[in-house]
Amino acid sequence: METEREDPERVEAFLQRIDRGERIEADDWMPADYRRQLIRLIAMHGVSEIMGALPEKEWVPKAPTLYRKLAIMAKVQDEIGHGQLLIRVAEDLLAPLGKTREDLLDDLFSGRLKFHNVFHMPAPTWADAGIIAWLVDGAAIITQGMSLSSSYAPYVRALQRIVEEEGFHIQHGESICMALAEGSPSQRKSLQEALERWWPALMMFFGPRETDQATSHQQANLRYRIRTKTNEELRQRFLTKYVPRIRSLGLVPPDPTLHFDAEKGEWVYQQPDWNWFRQIINNQGPRSQARLTLKHLTYEEGRWARAVLAQA
Amino acid sequence: MDRLTFDIYEVFAQTDPLAPHQHQFSLLASSPEMALALAQENFLRRREIYSIWVVRRDAITQSGPAERARFYRRKKGYRTTEDYRYLVEKWRRYKQQPMTPETMV
Repeated sequence: METEREDPERVEAFLQRIDRGERIEADDWMPADYRRQLIRLIAMHGVSEIMGALPEKEWVPKAPTLYRKLAIMAKVQDEIGHGQLLIRVAEDLLAPLGKTREDLLDDLFSGRLKFHNVFHMPAPTWADAGIIAWLVDGAAIITQGMSLSSSYAPYVRALQRIVEEEGFHIQHGESICMALAEGSPSQRKSLQEALERWWPALMMFFGPRETDQATSHQQANLRYRIRTKTNEELRQRFLTKYVPRIRSLGLVPPDPTLHFDAEKGEWVYQQPDWNWFRQIINNQGPRSQARLTLKHLTYEEGRWARAVLAQA
Repeated sequence: MDRLTFDIYEVFAQTDPLAPHQHQFSLLASSPEMALALAQENFLRRREIYSIWVVRRDAITQSGPAERARFYRRKKGYRTTEDYRYLVEKWRRYKQQPMTPETMV
C-alpha cells in the first residue's frame, strides 16, 4: 500500500499547513499516518452512528404515543443518515487503499473496527430512550462540537449537518425525560433508574483520563488537529453542562462523591471500571453480540437488494 | 463474493427559486434517478426544497489542490468595497462641513 518513504520536507510542509489552521481536503497530499488516523476515527464514528440506532429503534414499536413514535423514528433515521455521511467521508479516504464501505462493515463484524462503548448497553425501558437522546446525544455533541474545528474539511462538513440534527435529538430527549420527571411516582422512578443504568456508560463515554503518556493515537490526533481537546476536558465540560440540569429534575447521579471542586476548578467523580470499559469495546458488553448479530443478519439479508440496486 | 460497484454522485439543492444550488454532500448510486431519490432521503428530510441536482463526480472538472493553494487568502481589496470603507466617515464629515470653493483653496 503506502510503503513508499515519505519525504520529510513534505511532511513538515503538511504540519505547517496544520499549524496555520488550514483545512485539508481529500485530494490534498497527506502523510499516510494522517490518513490512517482519520480513517480510524471517522470509520469508528460512522459505524457507531449505525450501531447507535439499534438501542433506540427497539423503542419505535413501543413508543407511548403516536407523536413520540414519529419523533423517535425520525431520530433513528437521522442516526443511520449520519452513518451514511461519515462512511462516505471514510470511503473517499479509503479509495487510494482500494477499500470500500464493504471492508468497513466486514471489519465491524470481525471485531477489528470498534463501535462506541455507549452503544453496547441495554435500553430496557422508555426512560432509557429518553436518557439516550438527552444525555448520550448530549455527550456526543460535546465531542462533535470539538471536532468542528478539526483539520479535515470533509469531516467537518459532515459534522455540520450532524450537529444541526443532534440539536433536535437532544430536545426530543429532554422532552421525554421532563415528561417522566413531571409524571407519576413510578414514571419518576423509571427515569431515576435509567439514569443510574446509564451513568457508568456516560462516565466512560469520553474514554479514560489521559496520563502523562497519552496514547500515541491521541498524541497524533492532537498534533494533526484532528481533535483539539483531551478526553478529560470533554468529560469535565459534559459534567459542567449536565449535572446541574440532571439535579434540577430531582434526579440523583449514582455517585456520592460527585461534586465540583471550586479550588481545582474541576469536577470530582468516581472513576468507572476501566477494565469493564475495555471488555465492552472489545464487544464483550451486555448487548454487544446481540446487536452485532442483528446488524450482520440484516446486512446479509439486504445483500440481494444492494446487488439489484447496483445494477439499476 | 463480487464487490458491488456504485458511482459517486455530488448533490446540490436549491431552497427557493432565487437561491443558488448549493452543494449538500455526496452519495453512492447506480443511476441518476437513484441518486435523486437518495439525495432527498439522505440530505433533505427537513428543509424545504425547490430543486435538486445530482452530478456524477467523475463528470466534474475541479481546480484541485495546487490551484486551491494559489486561491487561498488572496486579498483583492481593490476589487471590492472593502478598500472604500473610509468613505462613510468622510461623507459624514462633508455633510456637516461641506466643501466650498473658498475652503478648497
